[in-house]
Amino acid sequence: MTDSGPSTPPAPPPPPPPPASGSAADLPKDAAHRLEELEHGLFTSDLSVNEFLLVKEAGFHPLGFVMGSSIYHIGIQTRKWGQSQELTKLTEAMYTARELAMNRMEEEAEQLGADGVVGVRLDVNYYEWGSDSAEFIAFGTAVKAEDGNSYRNALGKPFTSDLSGQDFWTLMQTGHVPQALVMGTCVFHIAHRKLTQALGSMGQNTELPNFTQALYEARELAMTRMQDEAGRLQASGIVGVRLEEKSHQWGSHTIEFLALGTAVTKGSGEVTLPKPTTIISLDN
Amino acid sequence: MATPAPPSRARGITSDLTVDESLLIHAAGWEPLDLVCGVGIVSVPAGVWNWGNGVVGAASDAHDASVDIAARELRAECGKVKGHGVVGVRVEVSVHPHHVDVELVGTAVRPMEAQDPRGDDAARAMPFVSDLSARDFTLLLRAGWMPVGLAFGASFVYAPRRTAGAAMRQSTQNVELTNYTQAMYAARESAMEKMQRSALHVGGQGVVEVKVTEGPMRFARHAIGFTAWGTAVKLVAEAHRFVRPEMVLPLDDAVVQFEADSLRGEGSRGRSRR
Repeated sequence: MTDSGPSTPPAPPPPPPPPASGSAADLPKDAAHRLEELEHGLFTSDLSVNEFLLVKEAGFHPLGFVMGSSIYHIGIQTRKWGQSQELTKLTEAMYTARELAMNRMEEEAEQLGADGVVGVRLDVNYYEWGSDSAEFIAFGTAVKAEDGNSYRNALGKPFTSDLSGQDFWTLMQTGHVPQALVMGTCVFHIAHRKLTQALGSMGQNTELPNFTQALYEARELAMTRMQDEAGRLQASGIVGVRLEEKSHQWGSHTIEFLALGTAVTKGSGEVTLPKPTTIISLDN
Repeated sequence: MATPAPPSRARGITSDLTVDESLLIHAAGWEPLDLVCGVGIVSVPAGVWNWGNGVVGAASDAHDASVDIAARELRAECGKVKGHGVVGVRVEVSVHPHHVDVELVGTAVRPMEAQDPRGDDAARAMPFVSDLSARDFTLLLRAGWMPVGLAFGASFVYAPRRTAGAAMRQSTQNVELTNYTQAMYAARESAMEKMQRSALHVGGQGVVEVKVTEGPMRFARHAIGFTAWGTAVKLVAEAHRFVRPEMVLPLDDAVVQFEADSLRGEGSRGRSRR
């Protein structure tokens, strides 16, 4: 996850839009009501039985299925036909809306007194009745440590992580603790080629440098922003990074690059890693 | 203490368990008995899907009622074969313009010799219903937990509308649509709250493998349905028993994706984490 060496495109990236501050857009009444009920000893979770047992094994107990959502109207930004550029307004919309959903999920977890949220998923839904707006949702299972220690992250909030129950257990075995789900996004408009360029490269094997460079730059921007988020948490690394590309509803030349991963820090204790038993299975 | 009657061997056993699952469930000291099913169909009054505001109360009532009927029938069938519960229940809920249809099909099981951790009489009086696979069921048993029933919740709402003026003003802006957000949030929370209440009702201490489905209704795009369901579980041992997994590293070249992904429950929605 370091900078990708000498071939980084030279164009200086525009400054990343600031992530939305945790403006405590208060949870709806209904959420508060549901969470109150959960405090009386019932837990809910979307963990499978395997994951439930592994989360217990890691020393945590599930508290409740938590979620946050935001329906967000995404603005309009004009693009230049022949110029590759970041669409900062759209980037900002994608950032802010996800942050709103994540913050609400964290608030729900906070209300349950959780130490963290595992198995976080981020989804974007579009509905027919609002084609220019999208619903951003974050789901996860709030968990609490059974040993009474606090596992909150450097910002004093419950940790969040998109690791499955299996990955969570394995990560804890290595002596690392998750800090937060970190993300970076960049909506990029990729220039169309001029007619003369298209004609010139017809029939040839040739790299299309303007496309290459635009995609390269957009990916690097998304990754850098993700790393910056991890940096703010003083994390020692990011695991399980995924890079997703989606055009949403903007047409083929406008693409969102989204980098997602779980920032982790090394715990203080000494860890002896178990040596996995090697097996060979007889099926097939 | 009443000992369970011998199964009616006259007809043999019917079950939709795989060979592996059958082995696992026998190894845990339980046996499959019969394939059982329950169906509940409840009508929805005409006209409820027309444009309106807020929640479609009649639809969620019909949903709850048909779930109840289906589960009751399933328990009754399970009782007939002297089962203590039903595992691997396939849940099919379909909401139509004029009725809600719930179908539950699963395999009735009971302990072979050992006593049911809940007490035999209590277990026979109230068989559990669970959409967990036989594999997950045996794993839960090993950890000291048992399923107690399906927990269900649903809610239906009309999509809110913006005034033309607001839509105009917002057309070029980045802005959160607070009334939409509120409406969807409330509906989702209410489905989950109903699920929680039904879990408490059957005596659950938790709900695992919660599935959430949502989206516009096929026949009325302006109405959105949310359902949430999972299996309510209860700790029957004195304390949670840790399973102590061991790490293995398969050395086959073409490894059948052995870990995480294959073990992850199939049903859970949108698990596109990897």
